[in-house]
Amino acid sequence: MAYLELKNVSKQFGNVIAVHDFNLDIEKGSLVSFLGPSGCGKTTTLRMIAGFEQPDQGMIRLDNADITAVPPNRRDIGMVFQAYALFPNLNVGDNVAFGLEMKKLPKKEVNQRVTEVLEMVRLSHIANRYPHQLSGGQQQRIALARALAVQPRVLLLDEPLSALDAEVRVALRAEIRRIQSQLGITTVYVTHDQEEALSISDKVVVMNNGRIEQVGSPESIYRQPQTRFVATFIGTANQFIGKVHDEHSVECEHIRLQVADIRHFSKGEEVVVLVRPESVQIQFEPTQKPEWNLLEGIIETVTFHGAVTRIGMNVHDQRIVADITYSYATPISLGQRCWLTFRTESCQVMGVEK
Amino acid sequence: MTSIKSRKRNITDLFGVVPFLLFCLAFEIIPIILLIRGSLIDKATKAFTLKHYLSLGTPLYINSFWNSIKLSGLTALIGCILGTLIAYAIYRWPSIKVQHALVTLSDVTTNFAGAPLAFAFIVILGMNGVITQILLRYFHIQLYPKLSIYSFSGLVLAYVYFQVPLMILLVIPAFEGLKKEWFESAQSLGASNFQYWWRIGLPLLMPSIIAGLTLLFANAFGAFATAYTLVESQLSLVTLQIGFMIAGEVRHDPGIGMAMSVVSLILMGLSIGLYQLSTRRAKWLVRSSS
Amino acid sequence: MNLNKQTKASSWQYLLIGIFIFYMLLPIVSTYVFSVATRWDRTILPEGYTVSYYIQAFKASYFISSLRNSFILSIATVLVGLVLIVPTVYWVHVRIPYTKPLLDVLMILPFGIPTVVLALALVQVYNFAPLARSPVLLIGAVVIYSMPFMYRPVSNAIQAIDVVTLTEAGQSLGANTFQLLRRVIIPNILTGIWSGSLLVFATVFAEFTLTKLIVGARFKTFPMLLVEYTRINGNTAAAFSVISFTIAWLASLLILWVGSKGQVPYQKAIGAR
Repeated sequence: MAYLELKNVSKQFGNVIAVHDFNLDIEKGSLVSFLGPSGCGKTTTLRMIAGFEQPDQGMIRLDNADITAVPPNRRDIGMVFQAYALFPNLNVGDNVAFGLEMKKLPKKEVNQRVTEVLEMVRLSHIANRYPHQLSGGQQQRIALARALAVQPRVLLLDEPLSALDAEVRVALRAEIRRIQSQLGITTVYVTHDQEEALSISDKVVVMNNGRIEQVGSPESIYRQPQTRFVATFIGTANQFIGKVHDEHSVECEHIRLQVADIRHFSKGEEVVVLVRPESVQIQFEPTQKPEWNLLEGIIETVTFHGAVTRIGMNVHDQRIVADITYSYATPISLGQRCWLTFRTESCQVMGVEK
Repeated sequence: MTSIKSRKRNITDLFGVVPFLLFCLAFEIIPIILLIRGSLIDKATKAFTLKHYLSLGTPLYINSFWNSIKLSGLTALIGCILGTLIAYAIYRWPSIKVQHALVTLSDVTTNFAGAPLAFAFIVILGMNGVITQILLRYFHIQLYPKLSIYSFSGLVLAYVYFQVPLMILLVIPAFEGLKKEWFESAQSLGASNFQYWWRIGLPLLMPSIIAGLTLLFANAFGAFATAYTLVESQLSLVTLQIGFMIAGEVRHDPGIGMAMSVVSLILMGLSIGLYQLSTRRAKWLVRSSS
Repeated sequence: MNLNKQTKASSWQYLLIGIFIFYMLLPIVSTYVFSVATRWDRTILPEGYTVSYYIQAFKASYFISSLRNSFILSIATVLVGLVLIVPTVYWVHVRIPYTKPLLDVLMILPFGIPTVVLALALVQVYNFAPLARSPVLLIGAVVIYSMPFMYRPVSNAIQAIDVVTLTEAGQSLGANTFQLLRRVIIPNILTGIWSGSLLVFATVFAEFTLTKLIVGARFKTFPMLLVEYTRINGNTAAAFSVISFTIAWLASLLILWVGSKGQVPYQKAIGAR
């Protein structure tokens, strides 16, 4: 049963379509990420859920009630912004208490609740400090505490970690997830960082140009991208463009690729074959294995990435990359001839227009 | 070559600012120090005395100070309130172009003080002024002698003319410093418009508003040309009194003029000091948000 | 109501802004009309129009000489201010940045001294020939009074160009301080210099208090002539006022124009850095 529903939501700014016909159901207690490049409409969608923007069309429902026309201060939705947005004239305690005071709760209850949420974000000791005396990470944890203090029905996070250092980002990400599952609060998380989205979410919504490209679990988004955009935006993918030859192969300009079953494409249809770099292996003799494709190339670049080494190759004037676990025993030199090989089942085939 | 940033403090480098310092000393600092000294010395006996300050207790001078403080305080307050309201209206105006034009208008009009301004007010509100006559002929409203441009009320009208745009210029940046995320946070936490302004917006603007008020006060207190053109000697103001003493139009012990000057300097110093403090507090608030 | 999204101004805004514009423009517009009106005290619009007040104004004794004096005073003040302030601000930023707070205080000080007090102090100290009540003393006073107007734009411009790096780059290419200022620094802060100069020019051109109190009638400037005529002949005074406004408008427009012109290469330079 969906708790938060967006139905046919559209929003236009002047001539720019920010969000087009957006449909999504969000389960109670789940964490859903909106992932996409800047300008893809993810923040606009979030702001429509918060009530800061009015959709031109469509409906937003929360807990079976239409909230499309409810003003933001009566929606009971918590929001955390990228730039922290703590009130600079109030100290940490008063910031957290703000929403509770708006609800006109008795003083005692306010204090108790403030102590509770500050403990939850592990910052009880700085209740008397002012925002400018805190680090970015601390400010964002206070902003989270402030949003959670009023026990909102939904928590919205708009790129909450983008302004922070890499190290703080990873730590706070885990913290957000811990608190979210502890409270079981329905959460929408906007980010342009794919790693962040994949690691934190129950469900990822990939957006581009105001439209949903794909909705799914982090793993399915990575392993079974439904569109070319998703495949290239999430991680890296080698692309081969060609025409369907038969139900198991695609004819490209210089090569014919063996792929898994593509019966649902008609013969001659233009398609693109996507292969993840980690699926590609390199060998130095042309040994053909069954169920594997074999391509000849020249090594152009070798880039060390820590756990893996990325090898860039020229294959018929097309650049192909492979991520391999590099061992010093096999020396690789630039300009060397090699054979790259990958399983037919690691080839993802989709229509070109997608 | 040593880097400029890492260079040690070098005494000889200080000589670069000597011409400027000498100029300030010669035309500002030393004359003011001598003025303060002069106010405390009996010209005849060359001995220390407080008699000039004691003479300020006479009704003429008390009256001047009272008028000046009243005029500056009142126009600063009016300018502050109207300026803040108009600045808010400008800040909320949907078109950036209109906002820009209104700020430019303020910029131009606030510098438009002194004799031309005074004369312009005579043109509209003088005894035979355009508005005075129109009100009399068409609406049968007799302004004179109740409201006269040559009196205190007239000076208030003329001073407000340059105080309001000055306040707008001072407070608009503070409005622009209010982040929309603060408003949105407050909203999502359940605050109404009024609750936002009362609890967050106004407290954040307050230092800038107080800074504006103090600067407006100093601005009006030190003004001379507008008052000189309009009221000349019909209304006694501190700056007018000092001016007449310099021009030799009034025979007085220059020591009294110096004592008046020193008291004015103290008042101005206080308001400029308050202005600096409030500005610092305003910057502190804005900085803390980033 | 949403504070951030307003597509149309509300009626209270129209009312407030309307009153504001009316109050700001009425005195100015009235003066312009008054200066060409034959008679304007019985009807809403003037009964007729004439340019005779301008002819009278141009013929007035002292018209040419007071205009000339005002120009001399303004230009001299701008020049002295430039020579005094630009190198000092540069020097303080590059060589002795720890003295910058002191410079800031010195530059705000004139705001805290009423012009009459400055005039009194100077007249009392320099009561000997040839300085006493001379135009030279007046220039000294007016430079002090107008200093903040020059300082702010110049200082902002210098802060915007990372003057320390530019200086180091210039020095490493073998330039001495004078060459640096002339070839590198000044061309890069020209917008600030022009804005400051025009601001000082406009301020000093309208200056009345110091001129009147320090030199008096011996060096009659345009604002003094205007004040004199407000008491003799309103119509001629109106013509003088209009000339005075017009010069102020022109200066303001030039400041805006210089500001907008300077913006583009400025931003580019910052982007390139």
